[in-house]
Amino acid sequence: MSAIGQCLVAFVFGSVVGLLVQRSRFCNTAALRDAILFKTYRNTKALLVAMMILTLGFTLFLTFGEGNPMHFDVGLNTFAGLFIFGVGMVLAGACTVSTWVKTGEGNVGALWALLFTFVGMFLFSLVWSVNYWPPAPASMTGEPNLEAFQLGYSNAATLQEKFGIPAIVFGVIQTGVLVLIYRAIRRKEEAQAERHRKSQAAHKDMQAQPAE
Amino acid sequence: MAAEFFKKTLDPVIALSAIAVLDIFLFLIVGAWTVGGGETMMTGLIAQAVMGDELERIPFWSLVFTPDPTYWKIYISLGMLFGAFVGAILSKEFYIRMPRRLSEWVLITIGGLLMGIGIRLAFVCNVSTFFGMTPEMNMGGYLAISGIIAGAWVGSLIYKKILEG
Repeated sequence: MSAIGQCLVAFVFGSVVGLLVQRSRFCNTAALRDAILFKTYRNTKALLVAMMILTLGFTLFLTFGEGNPMHFDVGLNTFAGLFIFGVGMVLAGACTVSTWVKTGEGNVGALWALLFTFVGMFLFSLVWSVNYWPPAPASMTGEPNLEAFQLGYSNAATLQEKFGIPAIVFGVIQTGVLVLIYRAIRRKEEAQAERHRKSQAAHKDMQAQPAE
Repeated sequence: MAAEFFKKTLDPVIALSAIAVLDIFLFLIVGAWTVGGGETMMTGLIAQAVMGDELERIPFWSLVFTPDPTYWKIYISLGMLFGAFVGAILSKEFYIRMPRRLSEWVLITIGGLLMGIGIRLAFVCNVSTFFGMTPEMNMGGYLAISGIIAGAWVGSLIYKKILEG
């Protein structure tokens, strides 16, 4: 597909996503923050369902060598980078998706966060140009490179190649794990609701007692 | 039906399921949903517009990201902005909102900077983590999820401290 065609597909995809996220108020930051801070799971459950569908879909197509998986080496920088990102998103109250979506709703704070994301990226480009870490894609080997804290490249397709087991089998296992997490959250929510009902009932009993 | 869509809040499970199905199509055509790469390219294009040839003195912009306006990932972000704007207008939810307190501006500034630095250090953003890498069962997905949960936890502790004053 031509570059222009790719851009067009990406724009249409982005527009539908922007609309759906705006209408559902889904937020990736809230999916993590609310679960940690407030023990509410509205967004967490949606994220888990999406991941189940995606895991099955992606690994099914990877089984037949279809699709365009991300291809670069990962390592310590992957963990450290997302750690820094995780702190930042909670402080900013928005992630990459919600900064764009909230900016579209007229939220100036989200636009400000977006601008400073760009500034952060530019600052990083200056630091990278001094120490050249993590390795540039062109110098990635796909193999572990412990000197550079790199673990190489591995996904469902490489697992299939290595073990001769179809990628979808690994996908089904991962989906199973996601289902278990989802069910654990549901049980927790039911327990919360039960406690809430009991405390309300107790409150009513107290009110029902005649004053002496 | 259409009027209903712009009146009521959509169940996020339905929204995210629809996005997941679309993301599978995108994965087949160009690659999974991502935001960080497009944002980096935009940063590069802005820097190029401001600095011109001076940008060549920063090797990152020739070795890792060479500014290219036809990079498809940029248009996902622009699409999200457009889609959200249309959704907000049609549901009469568009209005200019400003953070009120100085402390909010400071938190947003620090948060934005950390997000930008984190994305570039990791080569991935939160979207690639949850909607790309992990469903592809890329080892980096698990590293990234551990990182973002640990980061969100530390961030929440800081946030709580600030809230409690």
